[in-house]
Amino acid sequence: MHNERMGFNWVGVGSFLRREFDRTVRVAGQVFVSPWVSAFLYIFIFGSVLGQRIDLIAGVPYINFVFPGILAMNIIQGAFMSSSSVLYFQRFLRSIEEILVAPFSYVEMILSFALSAIVRTLIIAIGIMLIGLTFGAVYVSHPLVFFAATFIISAVFALLGMIVGLWAKGFEQLNMVPTFIIMPLSFLGGMFYSIDMLPPVLQLVSHFNPFFYFMDLIRYSMIDHHDTSLALSWSVAVGLLVILSVLVWRLFKGGWRIRE
Amino acid sequence: MNAVEIKDFKKQYRTAKTPAVDGVNLTIKKGEFFGLLGPNGAGKSTTIHCLTGIALPTEGTMKVFGVDAVKDYREARRLVGLSPQEFNVDFFTPVRPLLRYVAGYYGIAPREARVRCDELLEQFGLTEHAEKPFRELSGGLKRRVMLARALVHNPELIILDEPTSGVDVELRHDLWRYMEELNKAGKTIILTSHYLEEVEKLAKRIAIINKGKVVAEGDRNEFIKDGDRLEAAYLRITKGQEF
Repeated sequence: MHNERMGFNWVGVGSFLRREFDRTVRVAGQVFVSPWVSAFLYIFIFGSVLGQRIDLIAGVPYINFVFPGILAMNIIQGAFMSSSSVLYFQRFLRSIEEILVAPFSYVEMILSFALSAIVRTLIIAIGIMLIGLTFGAVYVSHPLVFFAATFIISAVFALLGMIVGLWAKGFEQLNMVPTFIIMPLSFLGGMFYSIDMLPPVLQLVSHFNPFFYFMDLIRYSMIDHHDTSLALSWSVAVGLLVILSVLVWRLFKGGWRIRE
Repeated sequence: MNAVEIKDFKKQYRTAKTPAVDGVNLTIKKGEFFGLLGPNGAGKSTTIHCLTGIALPTEGTMKVFGVDAVKDYREARRLVGLSPQEFNVDFFTPVRPLLRYVAGYYGIAPREARVRCDELLEQFGLTEHAEKPFRELSGGLKRRVMLARALVHNPELIILDEPTSGVDVELRHDLWRYMEELNKAGKTIILTSHYLEEVEKLAKRIAIINKGKVVAEGDRNEFIKDGDRLEAAYLRITKGQEF
C-alpha cells in the first residue's frame, strides 16, 4: 500500500504539491493576478513611460534594464509570501498536524513546502515574462544561468518564508518582513538602477545587501550586464541556500512552533 | 505483541511550571479496545500527541507495535491513525480531495487512493457530501470525515480522541457500532471520551490519568464491580480515592 522509492516518500511530497496547487487555484486572483498587475504597472510606468526619457543604461534601453529587477523582485516576493503564508496558515488552522502525523521525514516536509512555493513562483515569473514580451522588454542572454538563478533565488526565499511562517504569531508579524525588509532591500538592491550611479559610499553599502546579488544574477542572465563579480553573486546565493536549508531543517527537527 | 508500550513518559511544556505528564507507564495489547480517561488537562491528549508525532516527549520511550515512535517515527506513523479532538483540517478543502491528499501523505498511489477514499466515503455516508468544503458540513459529518481520514491508510492502531463529541445520539450509536466492527476486525483502538457510558460500553481495558499520572488501570469489570457504574468509579478515583 505504501509506495517509496529509495526510502523517499515521493508520493507524499507529490500529494502535498497537488494540495497546494489546488488551493492556489482557488485563490488564483490573489496569488497570480495581483503580482501580474503590479508587474504590468511597473513595466508600463517605469519601463515604458519614464524609460523613453532615460538614456541607455549598461548599453540597453531602460525598459530592458529595469525588467530583470522587476522580475527578480516578484520572484523574491512570490516565493517568500507563498511559503510563509502556507506554513503560517497551516499552523493557524492546525492542519499542519496532518503532515506531522504522516510518515514524512523532515527533509520531505521542507521539500514539500519549498517546492510548492517554487512552483507558485515560477508560474508568477512566467506570467511576468509574457507581460514583458508584449513590451519588448525580455531578452535572455544566458538561459541556463537564468533558470538556475530563478530556481535558487526562489528556494532561498521559500526557506526564508518558512522561517517567518514558523516565527509569526499573527498576521501583523507575517506582513512585517515583506513591508520592512523585502520591499526596501529589493529597491535598494539595484532594482531600478545600476549601482555605478551611486556615490562610492553607497556602492559599498549595496554590497552588504544580499538582494543586490540576486538582482545582479538575474540581470546578467537577461541583459549580460553585472555590477559585481558573478562568482561572488553565486557564492552569496548558494551560501544562503545552504545556510537556510540547514537552519530550517534544525527548526523542523526541534519542532519549533510546530510540535508542542 | 503489544500495540503500545509507554515507559517513564514525561512531557514538560516550555511555558508550564509543572509537567503535563509525569512518569506514565502504559501497555496496550494488540487487538485491545482501550479506554483512556481523565479530567480536562489530565494529560490524555498530551500522551496521544506524543504518541502520534504532534508533540515531542521530554523523557521516556513510546513504542507502537515494537517500533520506537520517536527514533523510527516514519515507520511508527504508518501504523497509527488519529481522529483528533479538534478539527485540524483546511476548512476550505472539499471532503474527497481532503482524504486523497492524506492518503498520498501515507505513500498511497493516486489510483489506489481513489478507490480507498471512495470506499471510506461510502462507509461513512459521506458520498453525497464529497464535493462540499469541510466548513460547510454539520458537526456530525465533520466527525465522520475525521474518522475516515484516520482510517485512510488502514492503520493497525486507531486513536480516537473524543470521536463522538458534538454528534447527535443516532450518529453516536452508528459510530459506536463502527468502532466495534473495527475492533472485531483486529484493529487496536484507544478511545478517550468524556462520555463515560461510551467507554463503559466499548472499552475492555481502561486507564485513568489524573494530574499527569496514571492513577488507575485495569479491566473494565474491575471498575464496574459490585454493580457500580464507571462514572462512580471514575469520580472516586479522580477525587483521590484508591482504585
